[in-house]
Amino acid sequence: MKVGDQLPEFAVPSVDPARMKTMAAVLRDPYRVHWDREATREMGLEGRVINQGPLNLSYIVNMLHSFSGPTSVRRLTVSFGRPVFDTDSVVAGGEISAIEGDRATCAVWLKRGDEIVVSGTAVIDISHLH
Amino acid sequence: MTVVSPLGYRFPGGTYTIAHWENWLLTDCTTAGPLPDDLAHPVALFHVPILGAGTSITTLFEVCGAEGPGSVGLDGYDWEYMRPLRVGVEYRMEGSIVRWEQLVDERGHPYDSMSFSIEMFDAEGLAARITNTWRFRRRKPEDSTGATS
Repeated sequence: MKVGDQLPEFAVPSVDPARMKTMAAVLRDPYRVHWDREATREMGLEGRVINQGPLNLSYIVNMLHSFSGPTSVRRLTVSFGRPVFDTDSVVAGGEISAIEGDRATCAVWLKRGDEIVVSGTAVIDISHLH
Repeated sequence: MTVVSPLGYRFPGGTYTIAHWENWLLTDCTTAGPLPDDLAHPVALFHVPILGAGTSITTLFEVCGAEGPGSVGLDGYDWEYMRPLRVGVEYRMEGSIVRWEQLVDERGHPYDSMSFSIEMFDAEGLAARITNTWRFRRRKPEDSTGATS
């Protein structure tokens, strides 16, 4: 493992609006844009519902889990640039930018095609990967 | 619309225990399979601190003057995990709104930028800390296409 290594990608071929509804219930999220197509029609978005930010981030987390295991995530610092809509195809990726002791810092992102919709950094525990 | 600054607004505080069912559903929503050893999915760090601190997304929207579909946007998260989150563990939460700024976006539309921080404690001490930043747009909903909560 070294700086510059790419992390294995995690793909979501089609963002599922049914999962957004379940997520809204789990989060107790009243924001209609996640589950009511009429709300997004009012916004001029042709009735496509908008994926929750935590779900967009979860694809990055799942990518990290695939690489370093389910107890490895220590810090996530991310910015949300663009909304993700139902049926969008997105891919989470990352690259190791620094290694210090048992911690690796990674640049992470979520892309829709070539467009970055979420970006930031993750710190992961790599002690069990040495 | 001008909203009275909620800077310093303290959440009531409280406790929260992640249930097996909610972690299962949450993890399924991420398209991943269940995690081993009662591990909670790390994105539980969105709703668990909010609800555990004795507040809700609804209350935050009210306090910050959300105006309807498209009026709330998501700018960023900074989430720290001192150790992995677990199902069945009681966490104690405390936090407040720590930042409130009136800003203008690149298209000249005004918005209020709000950050809130919550700390989560378990029996060993600080277990996790979050700072989330949301924007509250002060313009007509039909103009909006931004990311959301």
